[in-house]
Amino acid sequence: MSDITLNIDGIACKGQQGDTILEVARRNDVYIPTMCFLEGLSPMGSCRMCVVEVEGNPKLMTACTTPAADGMNVHTKTDKLKAYRKQILELLFAGRNHFCMFCSQSGDCELQRLAIEHGMDAVRYPFLYADFQNDTSDSSIQVDHNRCVLCLRCIRVCSEKVGAHTLDLDKRGWSSRVIADIGKKLGESDTCVDCGACAQVCPTGTITLREFAYRGRRNDCDDQVESICPLCAMGCRIRAFVRTGSVARVEGACVECPDGGQLCHKGRWGLTESTERDRVKTPMIRQGSTFRQATWDEALSLAADKLRAAAPTGRAGAIVSELCTDEELSIFADFFKGSLHLDKTDCFDGDALRGFVAGFAPFTKQGVRPFTGAHDILNADAILLLGARPQEEAPVASSYVRVATIRNGAKLMSISPFANPYPSISDADLRVSMEEMGPVLASLVGAVGTGEPIECAGMAVLDAMATCLRNAKRPVIVIGSAVANHPELVTAAVNAAIAAKSFFGDGLGVVPMVTTGNGLGTVNTVLAETAWVGDANLDFMYVFSTGMVPDTKSVLEAMSRARFVVAQTPYMVHPLVNMADILLPAPAWYERSGHYCTLEGERRRMNLIVPPKSELRGLSAILHEMAAKAGVPFETGNSAVPCENVFKSTLPPEQARIVAVSAPSAAGAREV
Amino acid sequence: MAKPKLASVWLEACAGCHMSFLDIDERIVDLIGKVDLTSTPITDIKEIPEVDVGVIEGGLGNEEEAHIARELRSKCKILIAWGDCAVFGGINCMRNFKSVDDVLKKGYVDTISTVNPEGVIPGGDVPALLKHAIPVDREVRVDVYVPGCPPDADTILYVFQEILQGRIPKVPSDKMRYD
Repeated sequence: MSDITLNIDGIACKGQQGDTILEVARRNDVYIPTMCFLEGLSPMGSCRMCVVEVEGNPKLMTACTTPAADGMNVHTKTDKLKAYRKQILELLFAGRNHFCMFCSQSGDCELQRLAIEHGMDAVRYPFLYADFQNDTSDSSIQVDHNRCVLCLRCIRVCSEKVGAHTLDLDKRGWSSRVIADIGKKLGESDTCVDCGACAQVCPTGTITLREFAYRGRRNDCDDQVESICPLCAMGCRIRAFVRTGSVARVEGACVECPDGGQLCHKGRWGLTESTERDRVKTPMIRQGSTFRQATWDEALSLAADKLRAAAPTGRAGAIVSELCTDEELSIFADFFKGSLHLDKTDCFDGDALRGFVAGFAPFTKQGVRPFTGAHDILNADAILLLGARPQEEAPVASSYVRVATIRNGAKLMSISPFANPYPSISDADLRVSMEEMGPVLASLVGAVGTGEPIECAGMAVLDAMATCLRNAKRPVIVIGSAVANHPELVTAAVNAAIAAKSFFGDGLGVVPMVTTGNGLGTVNTVLAETAWVGDANLDFMYVFSTGMVPDTKSVLEAMSRARFVVAQTPYMVHPLVNMADILLPAPAWYERSGHYCTLEGERRRMNLIVPPKSELRGLSAILHEMAAKAGVPFETGNSAVPCENVFKSTLPPEQARIVAVSAPSAAGAREV
Repeated sequence: MAKPKLASVWLEACAGCHMSFLDIDERIVDLIGKVDLTSTPITDIKEIPEVDVGVIEGGLGNEEEAHIARELRSKCKILIAWGDCAVFGGINCMRNFKSVDDVLKKGYVDTISTVNPEGVIPGGDVPALLKHAIPVDREVRVDVYVPGCPPDADTILYVFQEILQGRIPKVPSDKMRYD
């Protein structure tokens, strides 16, 4: 890439060959108004707001699509351009219903901002008053076509970032209308994943989200905080808008990131809802069938007494939510494992996590990192899904799968006991039971490694998959969470990645569908080495829940068997609350800060969004006090920093060796 | 020099712009020292005299309003359109997506709160609706546009002060609003 220099409005601006005029201008702080352009989406130059004059060229050029050239003389602020831009805005206002006084987006609207910026104090053109109808068929996203300026950002984000390609354009000219699924209403769409990205990028009040409408304009919000979504292991970066102490709106924050600033349905809707829920405000102690309020001192003394009695007998356990930060998990590990020497600590979804850890162990021992950042799916030219259902497990990873397949032409294959998650875009689908998957994977690894065809009857599909993986330059294997219950299959999947030479910068081309927020962070902290929750019969049980995901059945059953339960949770979540003997308030997700180990292969920071209101105490303070009351020293440093351990590698992925797959623990597996 | 005369009318609108004008608070005392308020909804003088500055709040939705707009235009030197209704048509335009007949039927017969068993639709004695509710400049020439719903009091005062200085102002971006 060679450097070029442009003259924009008399300023020498440096850029690189291949940049557009707009990119060079923005990098050099020269303002050019835009509307249809959105960073991260392919530019299309349809709104003409960014027109500039280029000397030697009689036509006006759209800065967002015109390549910059060395020595170009560009003018962005001439009277002629201002007049044209104002004229464009007047035409847009005349075309449809752009009356701000009855629009929920007034004040947040890019069209309004541009019109005011250009001094548009009247519209010289006849208003058309065409009725384009509303589409309110979807339960969460509403579309008012009368407010559309046809910038097509929604269509582009839906196809380029979410990969759903639900939206398209119907008809031509002023009759054009954004439609779903080639003519359906949005609520009837089969392809819409309900992520709300279209509303996030809409510059006007066309596509809006019922949940956020009238809860406060972006500009009226008291605060905007960047944090991460805790609801799955992707750890997508969010921007939370705070108004009067509650989270009024959540948007994807990172346009430059591979996710392009998208959120999935969970992140979009799940987070703001939680700010309105009933909270546990003070410590409470069970009294018959109800609770009575207690002081922290009283509640922690009682808990410490029970804990002191139960800990030495081995009949005390602790379950900690995977939605805790690295820092919180470390404190829990210090207290329960270090101070109290409990062998029974775990998290809610421990079984799946243990499965992944055990399946990856042979490769971790070799010193390679057996998985890679989920965004590498975007760069893959072949994707093999093993029992994976990314749309449920990590929806933004599902966007990566769709985008890689639709836009980049990656081959999409699925070997799974479940229905094909992408029936309309997958290239090969093999339906096998979990028991059959071991031998199938063994044949696949062999065929990919040796290049010899699989000549087993009915296995032509598998042979095609082997050929595809062998020829692929950047194959990625996605392992579903259900597969993690069979560690030997996880190991076999990594073997397949090694055989297919799936090497990425940070590790082998494997993406495990860890479904829980900071699940990776529980490894090396609270995650148990062997499962115990299922047959636990405890005198004392401590449960820390964030109340954001349903508590698992096995944990609830263990709680019902335990003789004394301390539950710490931000919300009055049932049945968790019903089973507690002591109830302690916990900060909600937006009242905490720390770090998550994400599936994107990064340690990401979660920031405090709203300061806690009720009588909360920090986890560290609670556990220190409990340690003091129980008469045990508080041991720090019992666990390594979670992320560094999970992500570390001493060998490049190219040096990974295929390992023998241990005999499956599950019954019913056959020899190949 | 005699004080410039000002007349204002309140047509198809909510009076919010006149309220916003009153929001200039004590500065109105100073303004009245320089300007002669004649026929306005505030002074309640009905007859519009010959004036220097005419102000219209509201869009034009019926024949009477169009007539008043023409009358004021013919009697003033500078005509100001106050507010989104006068400038763009505003909330009155919500009816423009339906025919006049549909609008009257909806308003006088079909609405759930209406008791009108005979289905009488007013006509004859009252001014007929125009086909569309329109901004003022679709009927008469406008010299100064002051959008906003309502425009800020400071913006309204700014426009008067500019006119008193002998200038025909344009509302600058930092004083402009559409809501």
